[in-house]
Amino acid sequence: MSQTGQVQTQPKASSRTSIEDALNADVWDVDESPHIEVDTDKCATCETRPCLSFCPAHAFALLGERMLYSYEGCLECGTCRVLCPKEAITWKYPLSGRGVQYRF
Amino acid sequence: MTGAVPSQKFDVVVVGGGPAGLSCSYTLAKKGLRVAVVERGRTPGTKNLFGGRVYSSPLEKVYGNFRKEAPIERWVKHEKISVVADDGALSLDYDSNGSTSFTAYLPKLVAWMASKAEAEGAVIVSDVRVDDVTMDGHRAVGISAGGDRLNADVVVLAEGVNRLLCERMKVVPPLSANQVALGVRQVVRLGSDKINERFGLAGDEGLAWFFLGRPSDYLPGGAFLYTNSSTVSVGLVLYLKQGIQMPDNEVYDILEKFRSSPPLDQLLAGGSLVEYGSHLIPEAGLKMMPDRLYGDGYVIVGDAAGLVLNLGYTVRGVDFAVHSGFLAAEVISDAYSSKNLGAASLATYEQKLNQSFVVKEMRRHSAIQKMMQKRHIFEAYPRILVDAARRLYEFDEVSPKLLEAGRLSMKGRRSTIGVLSDLLALSRGP
Repeated sequence: MSQTGQVQTQPKASSRTSIEDALNADVWDVDESPHIEVDTDKCATCETRPCLSFCPAHAFALLGERMLYSYEGCLECGTCRVLCPKEAITWKYPLSGRGVQYRF
Repeated sequence: MTGAVPSQKFDVVVVGGGPAGLSCSYTLAKKGLRVAVVERGRTPGTKNLFGGRVYSSPLEKVYGNFRKEAPIERWVKHEKISVVADDGALSLDYDSNGSTSFTAYLPKLVAWMASKAEAEGAVIVSDVRVDDVTMDGHRAVGISAGGDRLNADVVVLAEGVNRLLCERMKVVPPLSANQVALGVRQVVRLGSDKINERFGLAGDEGLAWFFLGRPSDYLPGGAFLYTNSSTVSVGLVLYLKQGIQMPDNEVYDILEKFRSSPPLDQLLAGGSLVEYGSHLIPEAGLKMMPDRLYGDGYVIVGDAAGLVLNLGYTVRGVDFAVHSGFLAAEVISDAYSSKNLGAASLATYEQKLNQSFVVKEMRRHSAIQKMMQKRHIFEAYPRILVDAARRLYEFDEVSPKLLEAGRLSMKGRRSTIGVLSDLLALSRGP
């Protein structure tokens, strides 16, 4: 019924998949116009920026002090909308069935 | 809206072609009502994502020949839960011959449900994002999308966890971090032979495996693995409220660390990643439910109503969604017969849902739902349990007594009073 097992903790770096490769495994039909809009002026005043670590698609990145975002690889989970402490994100679903196409 | 859609009014318009919306549409169409389902995805299912397991009974109640017809990957015959710490893991296995739950690809299951609804006469309008619920005073009278309108006597809000329309109607407050968890998932193709060999499965037996502790970086939540026919779904659930307190880790990084570490690195070796996705999960239990699940001319079903139960060792959502859609359809159909579609009449849906296993289950397990959000549970207990196991299994000459091992492992991690209060909280009823 029960068992114990030793788990080694050192992950093999070689078997890691980059976020880019992970997103490339998906099927996409990218919209020409963004379904997310970010008021990046508000990001400049944000201290915590949870979007940076919590967006599972790494759609947010800092260039110096400037917040950059891309909607193209968005997985449409809505996490950024919920977490943004500055309410800087206008978040809608893409039109016309565009965006990520889940198969599994 | 596409030209194929008849311009006249529908009896019911369902927003969202997922498990809740489609079981509702199928049931309504079967009862002879004119139903339109408006789905934002290219086809129903393409925007659906979940962990990987469905409890079948509620679906069998709606779809007669479910077991034979539905796209089932594997029936779950093996359950496993592992509590993982830095230096070891303690696991519990359960094997049975039962078949109450199965693994599935949600896009395929949803596509199948859509075909069933269509066969009964429901009209599925895909590729269309609903912008607003059209109101006449306090009464919902249809929906609008891209300037087009579709009128109906009843609107079923089955829009999922990001309930943007419900928010705009002000029937729920904006979604907050303490109401949801983030689920991220990879699907790895391995081939059925390798899956059976490596996970100790025979034929089309399925495995559902939960992990607590280190896999989620000791944050509230956990990790999961489900075996499909030829792929494995592996993922992570993190409660957002507690997650945002995490220092530097990134969600994707935690997932990758988990997937590329023992034992998964060996179990999934040679596999190829075929999909990566993420989805929010309603996790606040009854607290996420709208104050009212109905109003004049509308009802709220599925994830939009917050109907998910995460017990740590199992998660239920699709079956709750299907049953809520089914109950909504029954009530709407009755209301139609009595020609009264006002709030008072649709209130029966909420009463029926409250009396059903869905809300009863959520009430019964509300204590564990609360515990699932507590950070110390995920920080202390995996380490305590694994350390206790280490003391019991690894010794030179003298081995500790069972309770002694427990007491020694608690030291510096959780006080006796703390453990007792956790047990008390867990055993507390609603």
